[in-house]
Amino acid sequence: MKPSYLELDWKLIAAALALSLIGIALIMSAQYGTRPDSEPVYFLRQIVWLVIALFVSAAVLRVPLRLFELGAYLFYAFAVLLLILVLLVGSARMGASRWFSFGPINFSPSDLAKLALIVALSRFFAYTKFPPTSKRRLAVSALLAVVPAILVLKQPDLGTSLVFFVILAALWFWSGLSPWYLLVIVSPLAALFAATNEVLLVLYFAVLLGGLFLLRPGLLFAVIAVAANLGSAMITQLVWNRLERYQQLRLEAFLNPATDPRGAGYQIIQSKIAIGSGGFWGKGPFHGSQARLDFLPEQHTDFVFSVLGEEYGLWGALIVLGLFTFILYRSIRIAGRCRSRFISNLVVGTVAVLMFQYLVNVGMTLGLMPVTGLPLPFVSYGGTSLVLCWVIIALIVQAEHHRLDY
Amino acid sequence: MHRTLHPESRQKILLGIVLAMFLFFCLGLIKLQLIQHSQLARQSDRNHIRVVPLVPPRGEVTDRTGRTIITNRPSFTVTVIPAEMDDGVPPMSLSWLLGLDTAEISFRVRKNIQSRYLPVPVRRDASDTIIAVLEEQADRFPGVTYLVEQAREYPAGLLTEGFTGYVAEASRENVVRDSSKARQDQYHMLPIDYRLLGRLVGREGLEKQYDLQLRGSEGTIYKEVSAAVQVRGEYESKMEAAVVGPTVEMTIDLDLQAAAVAALDTFCCGAVVALDPRNGEVLALASFPGYDANIFSSVVPESLWQVISADPRHPLLNRPLKGLYPPGSTIKPLTVGAALEEGVIDETTTLRACTGGMPFGNRVFHCWQERGHGSLTAVHAIEQSCDVFMYQLGVKMGVDVLSRYYDKCGFGYKTRIDLPEEAIGNNPNTEYYDTNYGKGKWSKALVLNNSIGQGEVLVTPLQLAQFYCGLANNGVVCRPHLVRRMAYPDGRVTATVPQVSFTLPFSPRTLSLLNEALRLVVQGSGGTARSLRNPQYSLGGKTGTAQNPHGRDHSWFVGIAPLEAPEIVVCAIVENAGHGSEIAAPTVGKIIAKYMELRAERPRVAAASDEEQP
Repeated sequence: MKPSYLELDWKLIAAALALSLIGIALIMSAQYGTRPDSEPVYFLRQIVWLVIALFVSAAVLRVPLRLFELGAYLFYAFAVLLLILVLLVGSARMGASRWFSFGPINFSPSDLAKLALIVALSRFFAYTKFPPTSKRRLAVSALLAVVPAILVLKQPDLGTSLVFFVILAALWFWSGLSPWYLLVIVSPLAALFAATNEVLLVLYFAVLLGGLFLLRPGLLFAVIAVAANLGSAMITQLVWNRLERYQQLRLEAFLNPATDPRGAGYQIIQSKIAIGSGGFWGKGPFHGSQARLDFLPEQHTDFVFSVLGEEYGLWGALIVLGLFTFILYRSIRIAGRCRSRFISNLVVGTVAVLMFQYLVNVGMTLGLMPVTGLPLPFVSYGGTSLVLCWVIIALIVQAEHHRLDY
Repeated sequence: MHRTLHPESRQKILLGIVLAMFLFFCLGLIKLQLIQHSQLARQSDRNHIRVVPLVPPRGEVTDRTGRTIITNRPSFTVTVIPAEMDDGVPPMSLSWLLGLDTAEISFRVRKNIQSRYLPVPVRRDASDTIIAVLEEQADRFPGVTYLVEQAREYPAGLLTEGFTGYVAEASRENVVRDSSKARQDQYHMLPIDYRLLGRLVGREGLEKQYDLQLRGSEGTIYKEVSAAVQVRGEYESKMEAAVVGPTVEMTIDLDLQAAAVAALDTFCCGAVVALDPRNGEVLALASFPGYDANIFSSVVPESLWQVISADPRHPLLNRPLKGLYPPGSTIKPLTVGAALEEGVIDETTTLRACTGGMPFGNRVFHCWQERGHGSLTAVHAIEQSCDVFMYQLGVKMGVDVLSRYYDKCGFGYKTRIDLPEEAIGNNPNTEYYDTNYGKGKWSKALVLNNSIGQGEVLVTPLQLAQFYCGLANNGVVCRPHLVRRMAYPDGRVTATVPQVSFTLPFSPRTLSLLNEALRLVVQGSGGTARSLRNPQYSLGGKTGTAQNPHGRDHSWFVGIAPLEAPEIVVCAIVENAGHGSEIAAPTVGKIIAKYMELRAERPRVAAASDEEQP
């Protein structure tokens, strides 16, 4: 059944479109007056990308969701194959091979892989007979996520590979895993950070053991959880040494921006100055001096939110935050109303991607999160990211339309 | 776990997270934009921190005795700040002052611009007069400033340009290449590090090969900049010092280099390579005629550039590395060596007597000696450079066997010398002729040409010198190199360890026979370079006269001295000058005489190079 256009969730589409247009205005502003001749005019390119994204989105609207469900594992296998291929033959840029180049267009298969994982996990959780905490269920679903995550990590792209785990965690949760259980499972990650400080580590283990005592998940599980935490606390140093120098700098700079005022810390300081100096009303379009004077790094991609904060002030930033909250809130409500478990999972998986990138990106520009190269959905410059966001919108709109189907 | 959450409450948790994120960000925004607003706005308005790179002077270069080859001198660079120019157009007065037309200035600004607010260099090495005018009449030149930079100076510019190369403003390609390198160890996510545009980087020669080392590492000053981007002062006295590049000590001996250039001076064009066969050190490397590397330190006027590039003698061609010539008779030791190794002849074999020529197919191939050489053994065939003897060896071995020996002696490959560009030459074999002439459409007589280093065989003077180094060093060829050691400012010293490139495909017996032949060329009664005989030291070598279709013969000579324990191999080619024994041999003789003289004067330096013997 083709959706009739009148019955679509136009409010959701309008919010996404508003974010995309705001993005174009900000990208234009970020380059205004400072563009060297050699640099492309990014906002014009972004307009072209938006048109493409809207077409792709309209096309996805016409693909029955049932088809995604049937082809889920095929799609997943195809995406994993592309990830392997890009490592072998992809064009290396900035020391990372993430793209297939077709003339002027660079296609990054990791965005496709995010969708593929969402679809595959959605189908797996929709039909599996095992209870949420069964080891079989946890292991198979974890394997599905780990394969693409490791391939993306090889590119290397730490930020994106985290997204795969976020999708996994979101769907574990949505398909019935208790949040406490989830916390215990991700706790070794927290142990990595806790291990940087002895006092913190002792406190952390006290909380962990207390939690396990209250949760009473069974002896074997508890032993494994404690062992995993101890293990990851011990390998903190190893992991730290394995990180690229720039990743170490970013983490250090997040903990204390003053340690590296030139590199990562510099970005955080300048971003905070930009947003803070915007005040309530902002400096006005094209009047952001931080952006104008090239103080802001990566203004058109990762730090586009800083340009917003500087030029449009608190009210502008609140509008964008509001639009994001609206989209996420509405999508989650849609997920809750879907009768089909597959469709419901699909929506939550896509929402998790948007939510995580939004959290990490805005958090970074406000100095509340470490610097990771994840773009702000809909707003940041970048073709594949924009297309992915609009595919996600198409999927959610379809889900809303078919919420009564099984 | 036993109590699975109701779907409704799972949804509520997610919605709660979304709202919590909203609140979290709102608090973050309120803190920055309302609570800290006045403080951050002040920082933004008045206290911008501008990251200003500190560019250290490039490392200096000396010869093996410590005499300066490349150094730096202070110079003025005129810059413009695009944002402060009226309508973004450089003032007419500037074009008058600098003697560059407005279009040229605009072009240079567009080429080098990083940001509209940062100074863009438009004229390097400006004269004191220009700076004086700028100082006195500043209001006539809106947006024009100047800064003091270091310009490269080559005290012996014409002598040394064959290996120094020069520096020039970084092109877009340089910047892209460097940025992708820098990205690996720094946090620069910019697509291109535009700050490098217009910075000086090495072009050609040593300056290019060791560019990253010579550049040193850039420092940083954090400066407070006002909204109008005027520098107010240093920020919290934070700075990272720049580190000057290392002082590079070359293997070159400037005196020998001067002797090499002087020896070529009376001719049109030519090249000299002097190598130490024991370790591959390049003692002199001359390309004649050359250009003065100093002219590239300031802006090269278009007119001068045209004169240089239109010169029929090609002063920009680096002849020792990129000049391709037929080796002529200098290759005969290779032909004989190959024949001995293949068992085609032994040291006593005398082939058909030379009567001044040899019929092959439907024509006669001549020997250079019209009277003929008569019956010769291999050693004397090299001594007297008999062509007919070589023709016969060529016919017996065939094109491909001979080509395989050329191959094993390094011809057709780079020598991997530490300079950025070198030619590989041409080593024809059956496959080559088949592709160029068609299968079976070429005459077997071509091997006759190849056996005397004529026809389509092409080598560089460096390759030939390298081959003779192998002959002089028991068959072991060391990789030629120009840098002996680098002394870093922190006291660290890295010395170049000699490397073995390859070993000649000759047995010790063959090698000693070939060396005996090279001795006879100078010392023998029938030798072609008898004129070089000298009572003070023993010299060996081989002459060559390479025919070329474009004019008179090229004159070759490769000399080895002293023969008891060879320390130097000198290869010289003089283009279109005539017979090897008449022109190139005396040229090499002068250079080797200079080396022997220096060796007596400077035992310490000679001893120092002995120490490095493995």
